[in-house]
Amino acid sequence: MLVETAGLTKVFGDVRAVDDLTIQIPDGAIGLVGPNGAGKTTFLRLLLSLLQPTAGTAKVLGRDIGDGVPVRERIGYMPEHDCLIPDMTGVGLVSYMGRISGLDRDTAMSRSHDVLQFVGVEEERYRKIAEYSTGMKQKIKLAQSMVHDPQLYIFDEPTTGLDPRGRTEMLDLVRTIAKSPGRNVLLSSHLLPDVETICKYVVILDGGHQIAAGELSQLLTGSTDRLRIDVRGDQAAFARLLKEAGFDADAGPSGLHVSRKPGLEAAVFETAKSLGAEVRYMGKEIRSLEELFLELVARTDKRGA
Amino acid sequence: MSITLPTYSRLELPLLARRQRVWAIIATGLRKELRRPAAIVVTGIGVAFTTITSLVLLFLSQIIPTGQAADLTFFAGPASNFFVLFFVSLMAAVIGAGLIADDMQSMAFTLYLSRPITQVDYLLAKAAILAPLIAMVTILPLLLTALVAALLGFFSWTIALEAMGISIVVGGLLTLFYTAVTLFLSSLSRRKGIAAAGVFAVNFGLTIPATVLALAIRNDSILYMSPWNDYVAVASGAFGGPSIGIDWPVALAILLGVTVLAALVTYVRMKAVEVVTG
Repeated sequence: MLVETAGLTKVFGDVRAVDDLTIQIPDGAIGLVGPNGAGKTTFLRLLLSLLQPTAGTAKVLGRDIGDGVPVRERIGYMPEHDCLIPDMTGVGLVSYMGRISGLDRDTAMSRSHDVLQFVGVEEERYRKIAEYSTGMKQKIKLAQSMVHDPQLYIFDEPTTGLDPRGRTEMLDLVRTIAKSPGRNVLLSSHLLPDVETICKYVVILDGGHQIAAGELSQLLTGSTDRLRIDVRGDQAAFARLLKEAGFDADAGPSGLHVSRKPGLEAAVFETAKSLGAEVRYMGKEIRSLEELFLELVARTDKRGA
Repeated sequence: MSITLPTYSRLELPLLARRQRVWAIIATGLRKELRRPAAIVVTGIGVAFTTITSLVLLFLSQIIPTGQAADLTFFAGPASNFFVLFFVSLMAAVIGAGLIADDMQSMAFTLYLSRPITQVDYLLAKAAILAPLIAMVTILPLLLTALVAALLGFFSWTIALEAMGISIVVGGLLTLFYTAVTLFLSSLSRRKGIAAAGVFAVNFGLTIPATVLALAIRNDSILYMSPWNDYVAVASGAFGGPSIGIDWPVALAILLGVTVLAALVTYVRMKAVEVVTG
């Protein structure tokens, strides 16, 4: 297991940023998604021992997070916010971070050049970080997380502040790392397409709670007992008529979801005819991560209300 | 773009021990300070000025005939050289104030703590950057003074070596005090200007009022409030010089107590600092 937690909780004053979180995250490329304030960054910082848990335990790569140093030896962390030392050069900072991670001077320098070339900071590596653009700073942050070649990469919102081109480049880099053997990626983002293109397993957090976790393909496929129907027309009225006809139908952000039952297909077309609506899709409950996410969050909100 | 041709390959090397990681912070920090014009100027002028004035003080005491044999007590004057206070304040402000504050300001603190080191490692490394630079003003001039005095034949080598030994101890005490206090002040705020102002406040804000007040009300015990007067009392006691009106053991206890307290509070604060922002 990449990460295992049991009752992990972090409280800041009255806010329960991570609330009784018990999850098991397998190896591989993992997406951690949730709206702003869901507890993603707090969760990641707990794993790094940058924050001390209020309650509960967690293991990263089989080691208790309380061990601190041995855990961090195996992690490369790319924080979301600006954290670079402005008066150092790109290569100077990356090699410095390599040395603090335990590499000897020569290896740290050689690795710095390698990873800077990998991330695409080449000629600029001898310039001071204060002179870098946001995109280059993001790449330096990525490079410093890679320099000691950790087993686990933790990327916290790696595309923050990047233009579309920079975002594509950054996602390509993260994807390359995620595909490399022996390396695991924990990618935290509220940009769901970023996660969808890179990760095979997702953990969805909201309000410090896990609201779903699993293989992305399974989560997006949903239940085989239900159909998804996309309707052009009055979706709410469509759902109401189906309900009146004895079918279990829900109208959500990702369309209508109806339980399979004999006579469903006929009832759907009857309803469409009576409402003058157009059935555009009727089939498996395949959703985008965004649709799934909105559904789950809406469900959580309903429960909360 | 090189991302289409990644050269990134898996590295399988054992990592070096923690002390070498700490050493990397120290070496990089010292190199960085010794490249900064402000740090170079303050250190250079500080060493030169305190050494020259210490030598002048020593030679003046030798030239003026008192009938006293050349012994250790002559070194109490150079050890109490007021320029030490001035330059130690300047160095602590110019070099030490930003050591932790800058990392908090740039959020590089997160980067350090996400690496396989502890908060104690980080603090020790920062102290090890500052202490040798402060020692350039607190210890080195006294050593040079004793050395030059011996070379010129003003004192026997036995006395000069003894003076050097005592200089290392009392200078070391002052170095530890200012290192601990400066790092404590630097850890309090993200703005190094505040820490720098704090250093001056601790030095001159306590020393000048304490001295004036002690003279005005004729009560020397007020001098205990001033770290500089505490140090002078200890230095004077160590070299067998004249008393400045306060007991050196009490002054020593105050200096050590404040040093330990400042170090402890900084440690506790660093342990408690949780990287929340962002």
